[in-house]
Amino acid sequence: MTDSELDTVYTRLCTTLTALGEGNAALYLARFALLAITRIGDPAVVHALIDAAAQDLGGE
Amino acid sequence: MRCVQRSFVPYPFEAQHFPARLPALDSQRNERRQHPVVIVGAGPVGLCVALGLANHGVASVVLEADDSVCLGSRAICVSRRSLEIMQRLGALEGFLNIGLPWTGGRSFYRDAQVLHFTMPHDQNQKLPPMLNLAQYHIEQILLERARQRADLIDIRWQSKAIGLEVRDAAVRLQVSSAAGDYALQADWLVAADGGRSFVREAMGLELRGTSYEGRYVIVDIRLDTDRPTERLAYFDAPCNPGSTVLVHKQPANVWRIDYQLGDGEDAAEAIKPENVLPRVESLLAMMGERGAWAPVWITIYKANALTLERYRHGRVFFAGDAAHLVPIFGVRGANSGIDDADNLAWKLALRIQGVASDGLLDSYSTERVAAAHENLRSGMKSTEFMAPPSFAFELMRKAVLGLAVRHADVRALINPRQTAAIHYRDSPLNLHVGAASAFDAGPAPGAVLPECPLTITQPGAAARQAHVTDLLVDAAPRFVALCFVDADAPPQVTQPDALAALTQRLAARGIRFGTASVSQRRAHATAWDHTGRLFPMYGAVPGTVYLVRPDGHVLTRWKALPGAAAAPAIQAAIEHTLHPGASP
Repeated sequence: MTDSELDTVYTRLCTTLTALGEGNAALYLARFALLAITRIGDPAVVHALIDAAAQDLGGE
Repeated sequence: MRCVQRSFVPYPFEAQHFPARLPALDSQRNERRQHPVVIVGAGPVGLCVALGLANHGVASVVLEADDSVCLGSRAICVSRRSLEIMQRLGALEGFLNIGLPWTGGRSFYRDAQVLHFTMPHDQNQKLPPMLNLAQYHIEQILLERARQRADLIDIRWQSKAIGLEVRDAAVRLQVSSAAGDYALQADWLVAADGGRSFVREAMGLELRGTSYEGRYVIVDIRLDTDRPTERLAYFDAPCNPGSTVLVHKQPANVWRIDYQLGDGEDAAEAIKPENVLPRVESLLAMMGERGAWAPVWITIYKANALTLERYRHGRVFFAGDAAHLVPIFGVRGANSGIDDADNLAWKLALRIQGVASDGLLDSYSTERVAAAHENLRSGMKSTEFMAPPSFAFELMRKAVLGLAVRHADVRALINPRQTAAIHYRDSPLNLHVGAASAFDAGPAPGAVLPECPLTITQPGAAARQAHVTDLLVDAAPRFVALCFVDADAPPQVTQPDALAALTQRLAARGIRFGTASVSQRRAHATAWDHTGRLFPMYGAVPGTVYLVRPDGHVLTRWKALPGAAAAPAIQAAIEHTLHPGASP
């Protein structure tokens, strides 16, 4: 994925989330995470991503 | 909270003030002569249009409501592309003498550095990717250049356009000046009168697009420090939690600080010195700056991404902020206006000289509206990151910044994407000859020339190190055929006599054209490719020709143009440009 393609999908995700509203945000991102997990297909990669996403979030 | 007591200091710049003058009027207070061009606004864009027209020998009157160059916190970053334009206008030296060049910057999230970016800059470049100086410097340099062209540029200070009538054969303006009111007529009008354009309003035209809610406080300060020139961005800075802060250096130790206001903050309260100065104080403490400082200017900013649908309305052209308002993030405001001026000047000059048709003028609108849309897209993207327009952009940005500390893959999303030269991909002026696949490299029609060093060899003079874009600059901007030639073949192969004859035929009609030849080794050509990078960069072989417009964009290119065919092919391509849409 190029920088410009990353920009485009990032913006699309943000505008979709905006349209769904703040109340749906957690559920939408959870659904997106599940779809991404099944598409990634490699348990080792998914385990590493689960840890990476949680890192530094403690205490919030 | 500790009470901060600081007095404001002025900008380190003394603006000269100019009186109003009345031209020769008839008994009805009409100016006696009709002008070819009147430009409303003597800001950077208006002055660039006037200088560009003067380069082609066309006279203009410039109306300016104010009595001096502007002070205050306005444009401060001049792009490489704008500097190339300044070279064409004979003003580059002034910029390089005063401005602070820079190539990159750093972004921080809380107390961690999450991005160190550099703008495209390599050994091939002549000019820095970006140069910082205040808008009063920009205007002063352009003004000094304009005063050297006083034979062609008539600047009228303290003269405000208050009435406009567009007729079939002329544009009529009512002017209110400190020396009295009068009316003037011109064949063409260029509206460079800024975001609150009088001309735009008088014609009932409206900017359309997106206005953002996020607000930034803009503060200029003077600060004693040796810190280098780079762009600094602090997200959720410890000194200003929840807010984004941008820091830029200007000449003479003036620093520009932009910080984001929270949603609940009242704008009128927020810009009061007692609320601004403590935030600046804590920012400087966080940066480790201990030097003396004083505030110079405080204002508030809201991002807009707006444009007119068309920039040509008959005899009236819109340029700069009068035509489009681009968010400040990515520095596309003044730079896109300077690009507008560079695009318009040669087209309007050739139309006034009677050698081009209205189609060339329409191409100003087509090309620059497309450029504005590209600038707006990039500017909106920057704004969505710098001033998130919804909870979603805010949440995602928090995720990006937090992850960026450890994950390089997401850092590209923080890159501020500074302005770059626009490629006019779908311009009606582009001429595609031969198969598009003939070139595996080099600028396509509509793109600007990529920079590359070369050595210029002139008969009777010492060879000098220079760059490709130096071949475009002559006494004045012109069409240039950049011919790649075989160092071993005799000069006659490229038929220089036929090209010289073409130059003379076109000059007789008022069209400036010249050729520059480049060979792989030192030979009889204008220049040679001493780094060996130029030929491959342009996908060139001996016989390749690039035809370049007066504004440095490629018109067309031929992979291998036989010497005998060159002059007729180049002439046909120039005619196509002057009369786009006409049958060949």
